[in-house]
Amino acid sequence: MSNNNHENETHAHHILSDSMAYKIFGILICLTVITVGVAQIDLGAWNFAVAMLVASVKASLVCLFFMGLKYDYKENSIIFSTSLIFMTVFMVLTFSDLLTRGDVYVKGPIVPESASGPAKSKFKKAWIATPELVAHGKEQFQAQCVACHGAEGQGNGPAAAGLNPKPRNFTSADNWKNGRKPSQIFGTLTKGLNAMPSFASLPSDDRWSLVAFIRTLGPHEGEKDSDADLKKVGIDPASEDGGGGGEKSIPVGVAIDQMSEEK
Amino acid sequence: MSQSEAGVVLAADRHHAHHFNTANEEFDACKQGMWIFLVTEVLFFSGLFVAYAVLRVFNPEMMHEAHHLLNWKMGALNTVILITSSLTMALAVSSTQRGNIDKAVKLLWVTLICAGGFLIVKYFEYAHKFHEGILPGAQWHYEELKIAKAPLFFSVYFVMTGIHGLHVIIGMAIIYWLIRRAKRGEFGPAYFTPVEITGLYWHFVDLVWIFLFPLLYLVS
Ligand code: HEC
Repeated sequence: MSNNNHENETHAHHILSDSMAYKIFGILICLTVITVGVAQIDLGAWNFAVAMLVASVKASLVCLFFMGLKYDYKENSIIFSTSLIFMTVFMVLTFSDLLTRGDVYVKGPIVPESASGPAKSKFKKAWIATPELVAHGKEQFQAQCVACHGAEGQGNGPAAAGLNPKPRNFTSADNWKNGRKPSQIFGTLTKGLNAMPSFASLPSDDRWSLVAFIRTLGPHEGEKDSDADLKKVGIDPASEDGGGGGEKSIPVGVAIDQMSEEK
Repeated sequence: MSQSEAGVVLAADRHHAHHFNTANEEFDACKQGMWIFLVTEVLFFSGLFVAYAVLRVFNPEMMHEAHHLLNWKMGALNTVILITSSLTMALAVSSTQRGNIDKAVKLLWVTLICAGGFLIVKYFEYAHKFHEGILPGAQWHYEELKIAKAPLFFSVYFVMTGIHGLHVIIGMAIIYWLIRRAKRGEFGPAYFTPVEITGLYWHFVDLVWIFLFPLLYLVS
Protein backbone atom coordinates (compact mmCIF):
# COMPACT_ATOMS: atom_id res chain seq x y z
CA MET A 1 0.00 0.00 0.00
CA SER A 2 2.88 2.36 0.66
CA ASN A 3 4.36 2.22 -2.82
CA ASN A 4 1.55 3.73 -4.88
CA ASN A 5 1.04 6.59 -2.49
CA HIS A 6 4.54 7.65 -1.88
CA GLU A 7 6.63 6.53 -4.81
CA ASN A 8 6.87 9.81 -6.57
CA GLU A 9 5.95 12.14 -3.84
CA THR A 10 8.77 13.54 -1.76
CA HIS A 11 7.37 13.08 1.71
CA ALA A 12 9.47 14.90 4.25
CA HIS A 13 10.00 13.04 7.50
CA HIS A 14 8.85 15.37 10.17
CA ILE A 15 11.43 16.34 12.76
CA LEU A 16 9.99 17.00 16.18
CA SER A 17 11.27 20.36 17.37
CA ASP A 18 13.00 20.41 20.74
CA SER A 19 10.64 23.03 22.11
CA MET A 20 7.65 20.86 21.18
CA ALA A 21 9.27 17.82 22.82
CA TYR A 22 9.85 19.75 26.06
CA LYS A 23 6.31 21.11 25.97
CA ILE A 24 4.85 17.60 25.67
CA PHE A 25 7.15 16.40 28.43
CA GLY A 26 5.95 19.21 30.69
CA ILE A 27 2.32 18.36 30.05
CA LEU A 28 2.95 14.66 30.71
CA ILE A 29 4.58 15.45 34.05
CA CYS A 30 1.72 17.78 35.02
CA LEU A 31 -0.80 15.08 34.14
CA THR A 32 1.11 12.59 36.28
CA VAL A 33 0.93 15.00 39.20
CA ILE A 34 -2.80 15.39 38.56
CA THR A 35 -3.34 11.60 38.52
CA VAL A 36 -1.53 11.18 41.81
CA GLY A 37 -3.28 14.21 43.33
CA VAL A 38 -6.76 13.08 42.34
CA ALA A 39 -6.07 9.61 43.74
CA GLN A 40 -5.59 11.15 47.19
CA ILE A 41 -9.11 12.59 47.16
CA ASP A 42 -12.07 10.24 47.42
CA LEU A 43 -14.39 10.83 44.49
CA GLY A 44 -15.99 7.39 44.57
CA ALA A 45 -16.38 5.87 41.14
CA TRP A 46 -15.07 9.08 39.56
CA ASN A 47 -11.54 8.37 40.77
CA PHE A 48 -11.27 5.54 38.31
CA ALA A 49 -12.85 7.52 35.48
CA VAL A 50 -10.52 10.47 36.02
CA ALA A 51 -7.45 8.24 36.29
CA MET A 52 -8.29 6.48 33.03
CA LEU A 53 -9.17 9.71 31.27
CA VAL A 54 -5.88 11.31 32.27
CA ALA A 55 -3.97 8.15 31.29
CA SER A 56 -5.66 8.21 27.88
CA VAL A 57 -4.76 11.84 27.35
CA LYS A 58 -1.16 11.06 28.27
CA ALA A 59 -1.11 8.06 25.96
CA SER A 60 -2.54 10.14 23.10
CA LEU A 61 0.13 12.80 23.56
CA VAL A 62 2.86 10.18 23.49
CA CYS A 63 1.36 8.61 20.34
CA LEU A 64 0.75 11.86 18.49
CA PHE A 65 3.99 13.67 19.24
CA PHE A 66 6.71 11.39 20.57
CA MET A 67 5.69 8.58 18.25
CA GLY A 68 4.86 11.09 15.54
CA LEU A 69 1.46 9.77 14.48
CA LYS A 70 0.31 13.34 14.01
CA TYR A 71 2.82 13.85 11.22
CA ASP A 72 2.87 10.31 9.91
CA TYR A 73 0.83 8.66 7.18
CA LYS A 74 -2.74 8.07 8.28
CA GLU A 75 -2.23 4.36 7.58
CA ASN A 76 -0.07 3.99 10.66
CA SER A 77 -2.70 5.61 12.85
CA ILE A 78 -5.33 3.32 11.39
CA ILE A 79 -3.13 0.27 11.92
CA PHE A 80 -2.50 1.18 15.53
CA SER A 81 -6.17 1.96 16.17
CA THR A 82 -7.19 -1.52 15.05
CA SER A 83 -5.37 -2.92 18.06
CA LEU A 84 -7.45 -0.73 20.33
CA ILE A 85 -10.62 -1.78 18.55
CA PHE A 86 -9.78 -5.45 19.03
CA MET A 87 -8.90 -4.85 22.65
CA THR A 88 -12.33 -3.30 23.11
CA VAL A 89 -13.95 -6.31 21.43
CA PHE A 90 -12.00 -8.56 23.79
CA MET A 91 -13.22 -6.62 26.84
CA VAL A 92 -16.82 -6.36 25.67
CA LEU A 93 -17.18 -10.03 24.75
CA THR A 94 -15.54 -11.19 27.97
CA PHE A 95 -17.80 -9.09 30.13
CA SER A 96 -20.95 -9.70 28.12
CA ASP A 97 -20.35 -13.34 29.01
CA LEU A 98 -19.24 -12.96 32.63
CA LEU A 99 -21.86 -10.44 33.63
CA THR A 100 -24.76 -12.42 32.18
CA ARG A 101 -23.91 -15.81 33.67
CA GLY A 102 -26.03 -15.36 36.74
CA ASP A 103 -24.12 -16.08 39.90
CA VAL A 104 -21.97 -18.91 38.60
CA TYR A 105 -18.82 -16.90 39.08
CA VAL A 106 -19.79 -15.67 42.51
CA LYS A 107 -20.55 -19.16 43.78
CA GLY A 108 -16.92 -20.10 44.08
CA PRO A 109 -16.61 -23.85 43.54
CA ILE A 110 -19.29 -24.99 41.16
CA VAL A 111 -21.46 -27.56 42.84
CA PRO A 112 -24.43 -29.54 41.58
CA GLU A 113 -27.80 -28.20 42.70
CA SER A 114 -28.47 -31.28 44.87
CA ALA A 115 -25.24 -30.91 46.80
CA SER A 116 -25.92 -27.39 47.96
CA GLY A 117 -29.54 -28.26 48.57
CA PRO A 118 -32.50 -25.94 48.40
CA ALA A 119 -31.88 -22.50 49.77
CA LYS A 120 -34.88 -22.75 52.06
CA SER A 121 -34.00 -23.48 55.67
CA LYS A 122 -34.15 -27.14 56.63
CA PHE A 123 -32.75 -26.69 60.09
CA LYS A 124 -34.03 -24.79 63.04
CA LYS A 125 -31.31 -22.93 64.85
CA ALA A 126 -28.67 -24.16 62.44
CA TRP A 127 -25.92 -22.76 64.65
CA ILE A 128 -26.60 -25.47 67.19
CA ALA A 129 -25.07 -28.79 66.18
CA THR A 130 -27.42 -31.75 65.87
CA PRO A 131 -26.68 -35.18 64.41
CA GLU A 132 -28.75 -34.31 61.30
CA LEU A 133 -26.83 -31.10 60.88
CA VAL A 134 -23.49 -32.89 61.18
CA ALA A 135 -24.61 -35.49 58.63
CA HIS A 136 -25.60 -32.74 56.21
CA GLY A 137 -22.29 -31.01 56.90
CA LYS A 138 -20.41 -34.18 56.06
CA GLU A 139 -22.08 -34.30 52.64
CA GLN A 140 -21.23 -30.66 52.07
CA PHE A 141 -17.68 -31.27 53.16
CA GLN A 142 -17.24 -34.10 50.65
CA ALA A 143 -18.53 -31.86 47.88
CA GLN A 144 -16.76 -28.61 48.70
CA CYS A 145 -13.74 -29.03 50.89
CA VAL A 146 -11.95 -32.36 50.43
CA ALA A 147 -9.96 -31.15 47.43
CA CYS A 148 -7.96 -28.94 49.76
CA HIS A 149 -8.61 -30.15 53.27
CA GLY A 150 -8.48 -33.85 52.48
CA ALA A 151 -11.02 -36.62 53.02
CA GLU A 152 -10.10 -36.83 56.71
CA GLY A 153 -9.87 -33.08 57.11
CA GLN A 154 -6.16 -33.23 57.78
CA GLY A 155 -5.34 -30.45 55.37
CA ASN A 156 -3.73 -32.80 52.87
CA GLY A 157 -6.16 -32.94 49.94
CA PRO A 158 -4.84 -33.26 46.38
CA ALA A 159 -5.07 -29.51 45.79
CA ALA A 160 -3.17 -28.70 49.00
CA ALA A 161 0.23 -29.36 47.42
CA GLY A 162 0.36 -25.98 45.69
CA LEU A 163 -0.99 -23.96 48.59
CA ASN A 164 0.91 -21.87 51.09
CA PRO A 165 -0.17 -21.52 53.86
CA LYS A 166 -1.45 -25.08 53.83
CA PRO A 167 -5.15 -25.78 54.33
CA ARG A 168 -5.96 -26.16 58.03
CA ASN A 169 -5.74 -29.58 59.64
CA PHE A 170 -9.10 -29.94 61.41
CA THR A 171 -7.96 -32.85 63.57
CA SER A 172 -5.62 -30.60 65.50
CA ALA A 173 -6.13 -27.48 67.56
CA ASP A 174 -2.91 -25.90 66.27
CA ASN A 175 -2.39 -23.05 63.82
CA TRP A 176 -5.96 -21.78 63.61
CA LYS A 177 -5.99 -18.14 62.65
CA ASN A 178 -9.53 -16.91 63.02
CA GLY A 179 -10.39 -18.89 66.13
CA ARG A 180 -12.33 -22.11 66.57
CA LYS A 181 -15.67 -21.10 68.00
CA PRO A 182 -18.56 -21.99 65.67
CA SER A 183 -19.21 -18.34 64.88
CA GLN A 184 -15.54 -17.79 64.06
CA ILE A 185 -15.39 -20.76 61.71
CA PHE A 186 -18.63 -19.55 60.18
CA GLY A 187 -16.91 -16.20 59.68
CA THR A 188 -13.98 -17.89 57.92
CA LEU A 189 -16.36 -19.69 55.57
CA THR A 190 -18.18 -16.46 54.80
CA LYS A 191 -15.09 -14.34 54.28
CA GLY A 192 -12.49 -16.79 53.04
CA LEU A 193 -8.89 -16.59 54.21
CA ASN A 194 -5.95 -16.13 51.85
CA ALA A 195 -5.99 -19.08 49.43
CA MET A 196 -9.14 -20.40 51.03
CA PRO A 197 -12.10 -19.12 48.99
CA SER A 198 -15.16 -17.53 50.49
CA PHE A 199 -18.22 -19.75 50.69
CA ALA A 200 -20.59 -16.87 51.29
CA SER A 201 -22.64 -18.06 48.35
CA LEU A 202 -23.61 -21.27 50.13
CA PRO A 203 -26.85 -20.91 52.07
CA SER A 204 -25.96 -20.13 55.64
CA ASP A 205 -27.55 -23.43 56.74
CA ASP A 206 -24.96 -25.25 54.74
CA ARG A 207 -22.19 -23.16 56.21
CA TRP A 208 -23.41 -23.89 59.75
CA SER A 209 -23.63 -27.58 58.92
CA LEU A 210 -20.00 -27.49 57.72
CA VAL A 211 -19.02 -25.79 60.95
CA ALA A 212 -20.78 -28.51 62.93
CA PHE A 213 -19.13 -31.27 60.92
CA ILE A 214 -15.62 -29.80 61.10
CA ARG A 215 -15.93 -29.48 64.82
CA THR A 216 -16.53 -33.24 65.10
CA LEU A 217 -13.11 -33.85 63.52
CA GLY A 218 -10.98 -32.30 66.23
CA PRO A 219 -10.93 -31.24 69.87
CA HIS A 220 -13.22 -28.27 70.49
CA GLU A 221 -13.91 -28.31 74.21
CA GLY A 222 -14.57 -24.89 75.66
CA GLU A 223 -14.83 -23.24 72.25
CA LYS A 224 -18.39 -22.03 72.78
CA ASP A 225 -20.22 -19.06 71.33
CA SER A 226 -21.73 -16.40 73.55
CA ASP A 227 -24.90 -14.67 72.35
CA ALA A 228 -22.73 -11.71 71.40
CA ASP A 229 -20.53 -13.94 69.22
CA LEU A 230 -23.61 -15.13 67.38
CA LYS A 231 -24.97 -11.63 66.92
CA LYS A 232 -21.65 -10.70 65.30
CA VAL A 233 -22.30 -13.11 62.47
CA GLY A 234 -25.88 -11.98 62.07
CA ILE A 235 -27.64 -14.61 64.17
CA ASP A 236 -30.41 -13.74 66.58
CA PRO A 237 -30.02 -16.47 69.23
CA ALA A 238 -33.61 -15.98 70.35
CA SER A 239 -35.22 -16.58 67.00
CA GLU A 240 -36.61 -19.96 66.05
CA ASP A 241 -35.09 -20.65 62.67
CA GLY A 242 -32.22 -18.26 62.96
CA GLY A 243 -31.46 -14.74 61.82
CA GLY A 244 -29.23 -16.09 59.11
CA GLY A 245 -30.89 -19.48 58.99
CA GLY A 246 -33.19 -19.13 56.05
CA GLU A 247 -31.59 -16.51 53.89
CA LYS A 248 -30.85 -17.17 50.26
CA SER A 249 -27.34 -17.27 48.88
CA ILE A 250 -25.74 -13.85 48.77
CA PRO A 251 -22.99 -12.72 46.43
CA VAL A 252 -19.47 -12.65 47.78
CA GLY A 253 -19.25 -8.89 47.35
CA VAL A 254 -22.25 -8.35 49.60
CA ALA A 255 -20.87 -10.72 52.20
CA ILE A 256 -17.53 -8.95 52.24
CA ASP A 257 -19.32 -5.63 52.59
CA GLN A 258 -21.18 -6.96 55.58
CA MET A 259 -18.02 -8.29 57.14
CA SER A 260 -16.13 -5.05 56.70
CA GLU A 261 -18.98 -3.03 58.18
CA GLU A 262 -18.77 -5.17 61.29
CA LYS A 263 -15.07 -4.43 61.71
CA MET B 1 19.25 14.27 0.60
CA SER B 2 17.84 17.53 1.70
CA GLN B 3 17.44 18.62 5.25
CA SER B 4 15.59 21.41 6.92
CA GLU B 5 13.90 22.04 10.23
CA ALA B 6 10.66 20.93 8.58
CA GLY B 7 11.89 17.49 7.76
CA VAL B 8 14.29 15.36 5.84
CA VAL B 9 13.82 13.52 2.61
CA LEU B 10 16.00 10.55 1.86
CA ALA B 11 17.97 10.83 -1.38
CA ALA B 12 16.86 8.66 -4.26
CA ASP B 13 20.36 7.20 -4.60
CA ARG B 14 20.72 6.29 -0.94
CA HIS B 15 21.46 2.58 -0.63
CA HIS B 16 18.42 0.48 0.12
CA ALA B 17 17.42 -3.17 -0.10
CA HIS B 18 16.74 -4.21 -3.66
CA HIS B 19 13.08 -5.02 -3.10
CA PHE B 20 12.34 -1.38 -2.40
CA ASN B 21 12.16 1.29 -5.07
CA THR B 22 13.60 4.03 -2.93
CA ALA B 23 15.22 4.51 0.45
CA ASN B 24 12.17 6.46 1.48
CA GLU B 25 9.96 3.56 0.69
CA GLU B 26 12.23 1.29 2.70
CA PHE B 27 12.01 3.62 5.65
CA ASP B 28 8.21 3.78 5.44
CA ALA B 29 7.97 0.01 5.25
CA CYS B 30 10.23 -0.47 8.27
CA LYS B 31 8.26 2.00 10.26
CA GLN B 32 4.96 0.47 9.27
CA GLY B 33 6.36 -2.91 10.25
CA MET B 34 7.11 -1.53 13.68
CA TRP B 35 3.58 -0.20 14.02
CA ILE B 36 2.22 -3.61 13.12
CA PHE B 37 4.50 -5.16 15.72
CA LEU B 38 3.18 -2.68 18.26
CA VAL B 39 -0.35 -3.81 17.41
CA THR B 40 0.62 -7.35 18.38
CA GLU B 41 2.12 -5.92 21.56
CA VAL B 42 -1.14 -4.19 22.46
CA LEU B 43 -3.01 -7.43 21.87
CA PHE B 44 -0.45 -9.27 23.98
CA PHE B 45 -0.92 -6.89 26.90
CA SER B 46 -4.68 -6.76 26.37
CA GLY B 47 -5.02 -10.30 27.74
CA LEU B 48 -3.51 -9.06 30.98
CA PHE B 49 -5.65 -5.94 31.04
CA VAL B 50 -8.79 -8.04 30.58
CA ALA B 51 -7.67 -10.35 33.40
CA TYR B 52 -7.14 -7.29 35.55
CA ALA B 53 -10.56 -5.91 34.66
CA VAL B 54 -12.31 -9.17 35.48
CA LEU B 55 -10.56 -9.40 38.82
CA ARG B 56 -11.42 -5.84 39.60
CA VAL B 57 -15.08 -5.99 38.61
CA PHE B 58 -15.70 -9.05 40.75
CA ASN B 59 -13.45 -8.18 43.70
CA PRO B 60 -13.46 -4.41 44.13
CA GLU B 61 -12.89 -4.54 47.91
CA MET B 62 -10.06 -7.02 47.60
CA MET B 63 -8.35 -4.90 44.95
CA HIS B 64 -8.70 -1.88 47.15
CA GLU B 65 -7.21 -3.58 50.19
CA ALA B 66 -4.46 -5.33 48.28
CA HIS B 67 -3.20 -2.31 46.37
CA HIS B 68 -2.35 -0.56 49.64
CA LEU B 69 0.58 -2.93 49.86
CA LEU B 70 2.11 -1.20 46.84
CA ASN B 71 4.06 1.98 47.35
CA TRP B 72 2.55 4.58 45.02
CA LYS B 73 5.51 6.89 45.55
CA MET B 74 7.77 4.32 43.93
CA GLY B 75 5.27 3.95 41.11
CA ALA B 76 5.07 7.70 40.61
CA LEU B 77 8.85 7.99 40.62
CA ASN B 78 9.05 5.34 37.93
CA THR B 79 6.39 7.12 35.90
CA VAL B 80 8.48 10.29 35.92
CA ILE B 81 11.62 8.31 35.05
CA LEU B 82 9.94 6.66 32.07
CA ILE B 83 8.41 9.88 30.78
CA THR B 84 11.85 11.49 31.00
CA SER B 85 13.35 8.61 29.06
CA SER B 86 10.64 9.05 26.42
CA LEU B 87 11.62 12.71 26.12
CA THR B 88 15.31 11.92 25.72
CA MET B 89 14.47 9.20 23.21
CA ALA B 90 12.37 11.62 21.15
CA LEU B 91 15.20 14.17 21.30
CA ALA B 92 17.72 11.49 20.30
CA VAL B 93 15.65 10.71 17.22
CA SER B 94 15.36 14.33 16.18
CA SER B 95 19.07 14.94 16.83
CA THR B 96 19.94 12.01 14.58
CA GLN B 97 17.64 13.36 11.90
CA ARG B 98 19.43 16.69 12.12
CA GLY B 99 22.82 15.00 11.94
CA ASN B 100 23.86 15.91 15.46
CA ILE B 101 25.15 12.45 16.32
CA ASP B 102 27.19 13.43 19.39
CA LYS B 103 24.11 14.85 20.99
CA ALA B 104 22.06 11.84 19.93
CA VAL B 105 24.55 9.47 21.55
CA LYS B 106 24.44 11.46 24.79
CA LEU B 107 20.66 11.43 24.77
CA LEU B 108 20.60 7.69 24.13
CA TRP B 109 22.87 7.23 27.14
CA VAL B 110 20.48 9.27 29.28
CA THR B 111 17.62 7.11 28.01
CA LEU B 112 19.57 3.99 28.91
CA ILE B 113 20.35 5.33 32.38
CA CYS B 114 16.69 6.19 32.97
CA ALA B 115 15.75 2.65 31.95
CA GLY B 116 18.32 1.34 34.41
CA GLY B 117 16.93 3.62 37.10
CA PHE B 118 13.44 2.32 36.42
CA LEU B 119 14.65 -1.24 36.93
CA ILE B 120 16.49 -0.35 40.13
CA VAL B 121 13.32 1.15 41.61
CA LYS B 122 11.41 -1.96 40.51
CA TYR B 123 14.09 -4.12 42.07
CA PHE B 124 13.59 -2.42 45.43
CA GLU B 125 9.83 -2.82 45.17
CA TYR B 126 10.07 -6.50 44.26
CA ALA B 127 12.69 -7.24 46.92
CA HIS B 128 10.50 -5.65 49.58
CA LYS B 129 7.45 -7.69 48.46
CA PHE B 130 9.40 -10.95 48.31
CA HIS B 131 10.79 -10.29 51.73
CA GLU B 132 7.33 -9.76 53.23
CA GLY B 133 5.97 -12.89 51.58
CA ILE B 134 3.79 -10.94 49.17
CA LEU B 135 4.24 -13.39 46.34
CA PRO B 136 1.98 -14.34 43.47
CA GLY B 137 -0.70 -16.99 43.89
CA ALA B 138 0.18 -20.06 45.90
CA GLN B 139 3.57 -18.71 47.02
CA TRP B 140 1.80 -16.04 49.05
CA HIS B 141 2.59 -16.13 52.76
CA TYR B 142 1.83 -12.64 53.93
CA GLU B 143 -0.16 -12.77 57.14
CA GLU B 144 -1.31 -9.19 57.62
CA LEU B 145 -3.92 -9.08 54.88
CA LYS B 146 -6.74 -11.52 55.59
CA ILE B 147 -8.97 -11.07 52.60
CA ALA B 148 -9.87 -13.75 50.11
CA LYS B 149 -8.15 -13.66 46.71
CA ALA B 150 -5.60 -10.99 47.63
CA PRO B 151 -2.85 -13.21 46.21
CA LEU B 152 -4.60 -12.92 42.85
CA PHE B 153 -4.05 -9.17 42.78
CA PHE B 154 -0.38 -9.85 43.16
CA SER B 155 -0.40 -12.53 40.47
CA VAL B 156 -1.68 -9.86 38.12
CA TYR B 157 0.72 -7.27 39.53
CA PHE B 158 3.79 -9.44 39.12
CA VAL B 159 2.89 -10.73 35.68
CA MET B 160 2.03 -7.29 34.31
CA THR B 161 4.98 -5.42 35.77
CA GLY B 162 7.25 -8.39 35.12
CA ILE B 163 6.44 -8.52 31.44
CA HIS B 164 6.66 -4.76 31.25
CA GLY B 165 10.05 -4.94 32.97
CA LEU B 166 11.16 -7.52 30.42
CA HIS B 167 10.28 -5.01 27.71
CA VAL B 168 12.42 -2.43 29.48
CA ILE B 169 15.36 -4.83 29.58
CA ILE B 170 14.99 -5.67 25.89
CA GLY B 171 14.70 -1.95 25.13
CA MET B 172 17.93 -1.30 27.03
CA ALA B 173 19.76 -3.89 24.94
CA ILE B 174 18.48 -2.34 21.73
CA ILE B 175 19.34 1.19 22.85
CA TYR B 176 22.85 0.06 23.70
CA TRP B 177 23.13 -1.44 20.22
CA LEU B 178 21.99 1.89 18.78
CA ILE B 179 24.68 3.72 20.74
CA ARG B 180 27.35 1.39 19.37
CA ARG B 181 26.17 1.88 15.81
CA ALA B 182 25.74 5.62 16.21
CA LYS B 183 29.32 5.89 17.46
CA ARG B 184 30.49 4.03 14.38
CA GLY B 185 28.88 6.80 12.37
CA GLU B 186 26.21 4.62 10.84
CA PHE B 187 23.35 7.02 11.44
CA GLY B 188 22.64 10.47 10.15
CA PRO B 189 20.04 12.51 8.29
CA ALA B 190 20.24 10.04 5.42
CA TYR B 191 19.68 6.94 7.53
CA PHE B 192 18.04 6.88 10.93
CA THR B 193 15.53 4.04 10.58
CA PRO B 194 16.76 1.95 13.56
CA VAL B 195 16.79 4.97 15.85
CA GLU B 196 13.31 6.00 14.80
CA ILE B 197 11.69 2.60 15.18
CA THR B 198 13.46 1.84 18.44
CA GLY B 199 11.99 5.14 19.55
CA LEU B 200 8.52 3.84 18.69
CA TYR B 201 9.18 0.71 20.73
CA TRP B 202 10.48 2.71 23.67
CA HIS B 203 7.52 5.08 23.68
CA PHE B 204 5.25 2.05 23.64
CA VAL B 205 6.93 0.76 26.80
CA ASP B 206 6.19 4.15 28.35
CA LEU B 207 2.60 3.92 27.08
CA VAL B 208 1.98 0.63 28.86
CA TRP B 209 3.35 2.03 32.11
CA ILE B 210 1.13 5.09 31.80
CA PHE B 211 -1.81 2.69 32.26
CA LEU B 212 -0.19 0.26 34.67
CA PHE B 213 0.64 2.98 37.15
CA PRO B 214 -2.89 4.18 37.94
CA LEU B 215 -4.41 0.71 37.53
CA LEU B 216 -2.09 -1.01 39.97
CA TYR B 217 -0.87 1.68 42.34
CA LEU B 218 -3.84 4.04 42.56
CA VAL B 219 -6.88 1.73 42.67
CA SER B 220 -9.68 3.32 44.59
C1 HEC C 1 -8.93 -24.01 47.51
C2 HEC C 1 -8.64 -24.84 48.63
C3 HEC C 1 -9.60 -24.82 49.79
C4 HEC C 1 -10.91 -25.22 49.81
C5 HEC C 1 -11.76 -25.71 48.64
C6 HEC C 1 -11.33 -25.07 51.16
N1 HEC C 1 -10.34 -24.59 51.94
FE1 HEC C 1 -10.41 -24.18 53.91
N2 HEC C 1 -8.52 -23.52 53.88
C7 HEC C 1 -7.71 -23.53 52.78
C8 HEC C 1 -6.43 -22.94 53.14
C9 HEC C 1 -5.26 -22.75 52.20
C10 HEC C 1 -6.53 -22.59 54.49
C11 HEC C 1 -5.46 -21.92 55.33
C12 HEC C 1 -5.48 -20.44 55.10
C13 HEC C 1 -4.46 -19.71 55.92
O1 HEC C 1 -3.95 -20.29 56.89
O2 HEC C 1 -4.20 -18.57 55.62
C14 HEC C 1 -7.84 -22.97 54.93
C15 HEC C 1 -8.30 -22.80 56.21
C16 HEC C 1 -9.53 -23.18 56.65
C17 HEC C 1 -10.03 -23.02 57.98
C18 HEC C 1 -9.25 -22.48 59.16
C19 HEC C 1 -9.33 -20.99 59.33
C20 HEC C 1 -8.51 -20.57 60.50
O3 HEC C 1 -9.07 -19.89 61.36
O4 HEC C 1 -7.33 -20.88 60.56
C21 HEC C 1 -11.29 -23.52 58.01
C22 HEC C 1 -12.22 -23.57 59.19
C23 HEC C 1 -11.59 -24.00 56.70
N3 HEC C 1 -10.51 -23.76 55.89
C24 HEC C 1 -12.77 -24.58 56.33
C25 HEC C 1 -13.08 -24.99 55.06
C26 HEC C 1 -14.33 -25.56 54.67
C27 HEC C 1 -15.47 -25.87 55.62
C28 HEC C 1 -14.29 -25.78 53.35
C29 HEC C 1 -15.38 -26.35 52.45
C30 HEC C 1 -16.61 -25.58 52.45
C31 HEC C 1 -13.01 -25.35 52.89
N4 HEC C 1 -12.30 -24.87 53.94
C32 HEC C 1 -12.60 -25.41 51.58
C33 HEC C 1 -8.00 -23.97 51.52
C34 HEC C 1 -9.25 -24.44 51.14
